[in-house]
Amino acid sequence: MPYKQPKSHRAARARKPFEDPEMPKKTHDDDVAFIKALAELLNEHELTELQVKRDYGEDDSLNVRVSRRNDPAPQQFLAPAPMPQAAAPAGTAPSSAAPAQGEDPASHPGAVTSPMVGTVYTQAEPGAPSFVSVGDDVAEGDTLLIIEAMKTMNHIPAPRGGTVKRILVEDGGAVEYGAPLMIIE
Amino acid sequence: MFDKILIANRGEIALRVIRAAREMGIHSVAVHSTADADAMHVRMADETVCIGPPSSIDSYLSIPAIIAACEVTGAQAIHPGYGFLSENATFVQIVEDHGLTFIGPTAEHIRVMGDKITAKDTMRKLGVPCVPGSEGGVPNLAEARRIGEEIGYPVIIKATAGGGGKGMKVAASAQEMERAFQTARAEGKSNFGNDEVYIEKYLTTPRHIEIQVFGDGKGRAVHLGERDCSLQRRHQKVFEEAPGPSISQEERDRIGKTCADAVARINYTGAGTIEFLYENGEFYFIEMNTRLQVEHPVTEAVFGVDLVREQIRVAAGLDMEFQQEDLKINGHAIEVRINAEKLPEFAPRPGRITQFHAPGGLGVRMDSALYDGYTIPPYYDSLIGKLIVHAPDRPAALARLNRALGELIVDGVDTTVPLFHALLQNEDIQSGDYNIHWLEHWLETNLRD
Repeated sequence: MPYKQPKSHRAARARKPFEDPEMPKKTHDDDVAFIKALAELLNEHELTELQVKRDYGEDDSLNVRVSRRNDPAPQQFLAPAPMPQAAAPAGTAPSSAAPAQGEDPASHPGAVTSPMVGTVYTQAEPGAPSFVSVGDDVAEGDTLLIIEAMKTMNHIPAPRGGTVKRILVEDGGAVEYGAPLMIIE
Repeated sequence: MFDKILIANRGEIALRVIRAAREMGIHSVAVHSTADADAMHVRMADETVCIGPPSSIDSYLSIPAIIAACEVTGAQAIHPGYGFLSENATFVQIVEDHGLTFIGPTAEHIRVMGDKITAKDTMRKLGVPCVPGSEGGVPNLAEARRIGEEIGYPVIIKATAGGGGKGMKVAASAQEMERAFQTARAEGKSNFGNDEVYIEKYLTTPRHIEIQVFGDGKGRAVHLGERDCSLQRRHQKVFEEAPGPSISQEERDRIGKTCADAVARINYTGAGTIEFLYENGEFYFIEMNTRLQVEHPVTEAVFGVDLVREQIRVAAGLDMEFQQEDLKINGHAIEVRINAEKLPEFAPRPGRITQFHAPGGLGVRMDSALYDGYTIPPYYDSLIGKLIVHAPDRPAALARLNRALGELIVDGVDTTVPLFHALLQNEDIQSGDYNIHWLEHWLETNLRD
């Protein structure tokens, strides 16, 4: 990961003898203030990650990435025993791998979860408009998408009215039972 | 050969199949309910798909969910394990209609053997010895009485669609016929939606002897001897051994050949078990199980074969890896079923396993999906492990079982382990002198307190 970069940049800057000897110190202080400001921005806007590249001149740039981990959700189960995990070859479901990072959309109060395992279609047929898009208002019972299981097309209705805030699946993707499909608020 | 198979089951049998697949270089897909998201079969499989909520009806028994899981993962074949959809002919038909392979017999074989009356008719025609009784369903009480007189009391009245001990009533004499007949019909109606019953001679002290058969679907079949599963509680097996303590090599060869020839003639595919009651040197057909059985490891131990591997091979169209002359019994094996149940009433005890330690060492096999910190969900079977021991002879196997049970640690829930410690102290168990009623009688006198 690019986390090593800022360190090497600092080192490079310190070794620039032809520049004003005051410069490295001053730049360093500026950089710290800049990073602090970024961190505040991150918190203020509840962002998870922020990356900025500043070019001071040729061979002199600052690359900052500030990120934070989400508050870990309260653990319902004990951590998995490490043994079988290590023994088994890596591999998870095509669908369950996706929402691993960050907050779990399935636990979002506006989440619509999949009632079945199958393949998702966001439109009635190829080329047709999507059933819904982000920002659409939907009424209870409106078709959100189709899930194909056993060659049967199952229309998934909106469980309640609201605005589509997020669509968490892709056309043609696989979902398992309980997988979050959309967030409607 | 398949690249990827889906296991439509959970618990230890799902692990059993995943292990065989992995040794064959086949990728495994585990399906699970939301209650089993942390189960061992989910952790061990190469891919996993959540197929439904905790209720089996909506997950492990949901045919659309399992077929869809194959579609999204690209699995080419389904191993059903035992229980759940393993003997559901409709499921097998749907699997085949979707261009997938069912690792097991055909829908037709399952259908024929799943109906007790057609199963018996078919077996009788194939030369398999059957219990004397009614030819098919018994329509009324008068006919039931006539059959009772003809074959002699005691008789047992069984629901045609029955199983698991439900819809079965014994009439010890003509006086008891009316009540037994009506009760069996009522239980058949309420449990299975079918009140047809049939009548058989009731053997007084038989043993449960079952013959393991295996067919390649092309008219070749072998037998892998017998298992004695007489130690049962409410028709649930708790202790199984091979070879049977009461069966001679001559009897084994004779009944084994009869069974192998029978399944060869119907082009049976894969593993199957023909169950008999055995009394006074005679075998009486009860039913055929068209699947892998819980107690298959004792047969694997004494014959040195991998039955799940063979199932997968034959389903892929390959030949069996053994022929009858290759199959020789080596030593003695015993399996005990460890359930999360509290004695003496055998009440299911789901809960959290605080510590699990499997016994090990020479000739010891523990098939279990437990691990430290695992929570046994309350929705499914209470079987949490099978301990199988293999030794050169029966006394050595009993000693090994005693030793292995002593090493086993399952803390956090009650289990049936104390039952086996007690049984091993019993003279009849040590000498192999028991029948299908022995355990019920012993429990009545020994486990009251």
